[in-house]
Amino acid sequence: MKLTVFNGSPRGKGSSTRVLLEHFLHGFMTAGGNTYELVYLNRVREGDKFVNLFQEAEHVLLAFPLYTDCMPAIVKAFIESLESLCGREGNPDIGFMVQGGFPEAIHSRYVEKYLEKLASRLGCRYVGTIIKGGCEGIRARPAKRTRKLFESFYQLGQIYGETGLFDGELVHTLAQPERLPGLLAMLFKLLVKTRFFMSYWDNMLKENDAYEKRFDKPYAR
Amino acid sequence: MKITILNGNPNANNVKFDNYLKELSDLLESSNHTVTILKLREMDLKYCMGCFGCWVKTPGECVVADDSRDICREYINSDFVLFASPIIMGFTSALLKKAHDKLIPLIHPYLEIVRNEFHHLARYEKYPMIGLLLEKSKGADEEDIKIISNIYMRDAINLKTSFCFTRLTTDPVEGVANEINRL
Repeated sequence: MKLTVFNGSPRGKGSSTRVLLEHFLHGFMTAGGNTYELVYLNRVREGDKFVNLFQEAEHVLLAFPLYTDCMPAIVKAFIESLESLCGREGNPDIGFMVQGGFPEAIHSRYVEKYLEKLASRLGCRYVGTIIKGGCEGIRARPAKRTRKLFESFYQLGQIYGETGLFDGELVHTLAQPERLPGLLAMLFKLLVKTRFFMSYWDNMLKENDAYEKRFDKPYAR
Repeated sequence: MKITILNGNPNANNVKFDNYLKELSDLLESSNHTVTILKLREMDLKYCMGCFGCWVKTPGECVVADDSRDICREYINSDFVLFASPIIMGFTSALLKKAHDKLIPLIHPYLEIVRNEFHHLARYEKYPMIGLLLEKSKGADEEDIKIISNIYMRDAINLKTSFCFTRLTTDPVEGVANEINRL
């Protein structure tokens, strides 16, 4: 099985999307004879190459971070470049991976509907959409906190590499929590105001000597 | 009201779309609104790189000195913003999305819980209401319009505002103007 992977993160190689894809692809490669080609959509000047790759692909995985509850603009530009391929005989099957910063899957469910429709618009068999929240900063997390997550992506890739399908149970588990249970939401209402919760941003603000400016409103009239 | 129209039409040959917006703007101005149309395709806009510089380096402003700074300034000082675009491959244009992605300096990195969901905190006291104007191009159907509207409705929570309506350029321009007048 030959897989063509489009990493749609504007951060490219420095992205959480890349980290998740890496584990998925390690799993994918365990099946004999599997190969893949991975490209980064943030290299926007290579747009023609991306279209050719899609045209020649048998199996496609399009992965991106959630931006404004949707795909980033570079991904939309890529999708627009595929317009002439809509309904073409021999289009690849396509699966999607959407990762977001907030922990709940609900934020990604609306773009999921778009992606399913996109597959049908292109005339591609829709493999499914893997949704994973809570991914902001996963590159910096200690290994023990990401082991389970990475194992799940490895397994997903492994099963996909053998069957060409996303494992429904794994996809479901990864998407949890779908929403915050009411009690937990109440607890987080308090916790988000604590220094611990703000420290992720505060540390970066301090590193950049911008902490005192964190509430700036440069465009207020 | 102060109204900003984000014209996400990427195609200069699609004069009909631009003319519709001009007509809408003239009508709104005749009702004493102040209207600014930002023709995004003529602006110097770089893609959001997801660097978070606008949150942790130069809070509230994109680190890249492109025209997104002008868009943010117009946006946050408006009472109503109309996102306008032809439907391309089932969604608003990449051009409009490019501008949309660059609105994140207007919110704050800190978190809050809204409707039992995680969201980012507001940076400003007041945010404009938003609406959507779509050109139903070939191949677009009712389901596409619903999908797009739902995504904008969702994003209204992030943009600390309410989503007011979706209208099509097949609607009489007076109807769209009246809808905005009623806000």
